[in-house]
Amino acid sequence: MEQLIEQLKQQIIEALNFEDMTPADIATDAPLFGEGLGLDSIDALELLMLMDREYGIKIADPKAGKDIFRSVRTMAEYIQEHRTK
Amino acid sequence: MIYCVGHSIISPLGEGTEANIEAVKAGRSGLKHYTERFADVEPFCASLFDTPQEFVPLCIKSVKMAMDNSSINNDQTVFILSTAKGDHLDLYTPAQQIAASFGNRNQPIVVSNACTSGVSAQITAMRLLQSGMYQHAVVVGCDLQSRFIVSGFQAFKALSNEPCTPFDPNRKGLNLGEAAATIIYSRQQNGQQPYWTLKAGSIHNDANHISAPSRTGEGAYLCLKDVLNGVQPEEIALIGVHGTGTLYNDDMERIALQRAGLADIPMSILKPYFGHTMGAAGVLETIICAEMAFRSTLSNGKTRIIKILSGFGGVNAAIRIER
Amino acid sequence: MYKVQKEIEITPTSVILNGQPIATTETGDKMLVELYRRYAGDYPKFFKMDTLCRLGFIAAEIVLREPDCQQPTAVIMANRSASIKNDTDYLATISEGNYYPSPALFVYTLPNIVTGEIAIRHHLQGETSFYILESPKQLEQLVNCQLSIVNYPLPTVLAGWCECSKPDEFYVKMRIIYGTTD
Repeated sequence: MEQLIEQLKQQIIEALNFEDMTPADIATDAPLFGEGLGLDSIDALELLMLMDREYGIKIADPKAGKDIFRSVRTMAEYIQEHRTK
Repeated sequence: MIYCVGHSIISPLGEGTEANIEAVKAGRSGLKHYTERFADVEPFCASLFDTPQEFVPLCIKSVKMAMDNSSINNDQTVFILSTAKGDHLDLYTPAQQIAASFGNRNQPIVVSNACTSGVSAQITAMRLLQSGMYQHAVVVGCDLQSRFIVSGFQAFKALSNEPCTPFDPNRKGLNLGEAAATIIYSRQQNGQQPYWTLKAGSIHNDANHISAPSRTGEGAYLCLKDVLNGVQPEEIALIGVHGTGTLYNDDMERIALQRAGLADIPMSILKPYFGHTMGAAGVLETIICAEMAFRSTLSNGKTRIIKILSGFGGVNAAIRIER
Repeated sequence: MYKVQKEIEITPTSVILNGQPIATTETGDKMLVELYRRYAGDYPKFFKMDTLCRLGFIAAEIVLREPDCQQPTAVIMANRSASIKNDTDYLATISEGNYYPSPALFVYTLPNIVTGEIAIRHHLQGETSFYILESPKQLEQLVNCQLSIVNYPLPTVLAGWCECSKPDEFYVKMRIIYGTTD
């Protein structure tokens, strides 16, 4: 799980172009939207694509993304359960 | 005065303005389901030509139809192309090819203001004519759908795979469409009754987000305020709104209309018939909206309409035209 | 009467502000990042932008920071090749056998996004327009035409030729042009 979390942080940094950030800068349980990383609607769509590309998970309803993308930990938990690759 | 002296529409619903107006009046829609038109994309609903069209010949055909009943002098005519993705991502070459096919030697202009381009292009035409730089402007709007565009809108989760239902509480998103439409503006009436006059135009940015519409309808409200410019809301017969059927855009437009005091004015929404025809939308929707309002007894003798659009990049554009 | 108040020109190897060169250590795309760190630094959204937007954003950032620079009432920009560089990048995400369309790239497949980015950054709710034209000369004619028909209030236009068709190949010339009764 910890390894998946680290890998996921790296993928988020690359997918969302966080130029000056390292995985250590992202708190595993901090909110991704609003207060925490301050992601916006395009970032949310990019995360949906990341889930598909890296883990073979298709999320049809963007509203379902809300719970999955609460934090890096919730994302990792969802991936572990649903990944197809 | 800036007169409209010719117009035409070519869409999956028909060739020529009259055919398209008849189709809309009869309640016919060009929207269909597609599963295999483009590789990889998920099934989608759109208004597409049965036979895939070529961009430049389609534009030329549309311009020819609009020119039929207007005589314009070439040296004093400028061609303005409104398109999002042009001919396989090339925007300027097709504009040159269209102008050249009519023997026009003036440098054409391409307006690339996202989904507002068709209205923006009419505003550009108005300015070029007002300044005296040209006497006539041929505004042609066109977009053809592709794997490129459909995949992008799907990645944005903006497409509904059912016919769109703008302003419906359960709306699910937009449908894309294909069309070419032309409006010819002139400083001269050429002895014929003009279709309408272009009175005012305005463009404003939300300065809020590059893809999400403003929650306060800022840019759209400022456009509406500008084009009203002393005209009372009750003097407007019809407002042609964007009405894409996406959750946030429809909401934004409702707020802007309310803020401008226009919430009680009848609206024209054409996306359920033509889909979102992108670069063609502002031209096509202006023609249908104007012709239907000016011919309808429901307008109660009112002769003014407003057409408004909004698009990516936070841009909004509106015009006011009068019979 | 209209006057050019400020002017900036950026190529992959040079930056010239109001006729004076600005020294940089990097060239090409890296130079844009260098300029960002020097003149902005507080706007991480910069790194999400495509090169066309970075270019326009940086030019506007430098020119609008100039002392007594007038706040633009309109942003009018143009180029010859639209968003072709970013269109190519987006196409790479929908290649056959590797189909993962990127929404973050797709949004930049319209050239007018650069005018939107500038409007957001500088809170400009006036006009934003983007044209595809043959040459910078044609943009100048369009801007002059627009300025000539407005009497009141006198407009201030941020006008820019902003071009990027390949990696590390770009050109921007941006001007603040304002109306005066002199």
